[in-house]
Amino acid sequence: MKPFIVLSLMLASGLLGAQTPAVVGDAERGQLAFGSCRTCHYPEQGVGHHNGPGLWNIFALKVGSQEGFAYSEALRRADFVWTPALMDVWLADPAKFLPGNTMMALPIDDPQKRADIIAYLLRFTPASDENDQGGDGKQAAD
Amino acid sequence: MQRRRFLQGAATGSALALAGCTAPAISERDSGRWDQTVDVLVAGSGAAATSAAIDAHRTGVSTLVLEKLTVIGGSSAMSGGVIYLGGGTPLQKVCGFEDSRQAMYDYIANASHLHPQLDKIARYCDGSLEHFDWLVGNGVPFVPRFSNVREMTFGDESLYYSGSEKAWPYRDLARPAPRGHVPSREGLKGVNGGRVLMQALHASARAQGIRFVTDAKVQRLVVGDDGAVLGVQALIAGELRRIRARGGVVLACGGFIHNRAMVREHAPELYDCSTPWANMGDMGEGIQMGVSVGAGTLRMDQGFSIVPIYPPNQVVKGIVVNRSGQRFINEDVYHARLGDAIAYHEQGKAWLICDADSAYGYDDYRVKVVAQADTVAELGRALKFPDAVLEQTVQYYNRFAAQKQDPMFHKQEEYLSPLQKAPFVAYDLSVDKAFFVAHTFGGLHTSVDTEVLNGFGEAIPGLYAAGRTSHGIPTSPYIGSGISVGDSLFFGRVAGRHAAGRVAA
Repeated sequence: MKPFIVLSLMLASGLLGAQTPAVVGDAERGQLAFGSCRTCHYPEQGVGHHNGPGLWNIFALKVGSQEGFAYSEALRRADFVWTPALMDVWLADPAKFLPGNTMMALPIDDPQKRADIIAYLLRFTPASDENDQGGDGKQAAD
Repeated sequence: MQRRRFLQGAATGSALALAGCTAPAISERDSGRWDQTVDVLVAGSGAAATSAAIDAHRTGVSTLVLEKLTVIGGSSAMSGGVIYLGGGTPLQKVCGFEDSRQAMYDYIANASHLHPQLDKIARYCDGSLEHFDWLVGNGVPFVPRFSNVREMTFGDESLYYSGSEKAWPYRDLARPAPRGHVPSREGLKGVNGGRVLMQALHASARAQGIRFVTDAKVQRLVVGDDGAVLGVQALIAGELRRIRARGGVVLACGGFIHNRAMVREHAPELYDCSTPWANMGDMGEGIQMGVSVGAGTLRMDQGFSIVPIYPPNQVVKGIVVNRSGQRFINEDVYHARLGDAIAYHEQGKAWLICDADSAYGYDDYRVKVVAQADTVAELGRALKFPDAVLEQTVQYYNRFAAQKQDPMFHKQEEYLSPLQKAPFVAYDLSVDKAFFVAHTFGGLHTSVDTEVLNGFGEAIPGLYAAGRTSHGIPTSPYIGSGISVGDSLFFGRVAGRHAAGRVAA
């Protein structure tokens, strides 16, 4: 199933209800909240892939498109560029968003925690509009 | 247990099982007919599970591995994959290091928590050389090079000091030797040990004919009237199946760090750590299923609590202080020893104090700067330490560090330099403020042969546990990378052989 169809269904069924009103993320809190994600992912530039793909510049990348990482069929077939809104849906329940994916992450139920993690990740997409508007203005760590 | 109560439990359990949850054990009479019979059934697919399957299968019995997730490998595949081995392995020898079985035993036995399970440590050390050969025989690659890094190398070297062997007081208790064996390949960069290890073992297992079934969740144990474990109920591809295990069931499905209610209840110090660290499958279900048939548990509060302050090495020249502004440990210990001291003995609070020469010098995701000042006195006031204590701490430390001495905690000379160059910086190392990773070590009480023991210390027939589903060699403090994966691999093999042995018996 195409991700946008899934997204539409989730919107229709109220699964995105927790997203409104918008929750403002805090990158400082997100740095700590992202800690467990480091079991598999590094967001820093140049570090590359680990158990999961690298997350540098993630909000400028098409899903499942980075070279050197063996994505699941579910991510390879998906067709969208990561945005904070889509990342929020993904983190809320990875298995539901893209069934069959192999990300080893539990759903994050707390919308604030998801927003914090996204705010932190935005630091590592320096050119994103969201970073200019909603980020904390800091440049990504080397 | 009265039969009526057991049946009530069985009814509740059935609802849980159908909902996809793990449930209390059910009696053979109530579970219906068996859908399948195997000799050894293994729950989980990490290091303990895979080695159990390999060694069971090698005895000629049928073996089935069930993994509840879509991907096999468990926490082991996501870990650094370090295996703590010694006694003079071929890798140690080719890298020019001497070691003995006794030195390895002395380090593990003395550095571990009070009254560790010495029989398991002895068995582990006795089998270390053979176990290295077993790994190589199963295709696990090692690169014959040593690295002098303080943390797992990002290079391809396969040997390093992975614990506190060279730190006080351990260097006086056992002759130091590098025992961290990291699966690697020539030219491989980054942290790959866990993936390399598990890819090799899974390939070896499959080549030998062992089946790994994914999306297959063991949900409850099935017991006979005499209390023996006869098999399991499992949800496989949405279908509830009853699988008889003639030799035994090996529970090797991880610890419980991601079961937050269970962690809060059993391991409060770990609950407060900022960063649960494990595969998402570590939900404690193996432990719960074991307890449901009367198993005892051991040291459920223990685990690793790691605050990885290094690299870079220069920060080890700083000092770590508690809420009173006083040192409490030599900062050059393995970072899990430091984390243990903070989490379990300093109410979760500590700060790293550096001068300009020992500070990180960049924003590091692991620690946050919480105070910076031109003098130590100002820094102490900013941190709200008792009046003038931090100055005293630094003055005393500097007085001896200038002579390369540390009379209080005996930090190694290479990390001893007076802290005297402004600005002075404080990093918060508290469990809920720093990148403070936690993983559980408590689990089912098992014998040295991995039989699960009940509350009276008697073996529950047909039930085995290994890896973090059991309480094995790892304790708080964690004494070196590779103890947990090493224990899992080694005692997983023991479990597989013993369960297979019951088939013939």
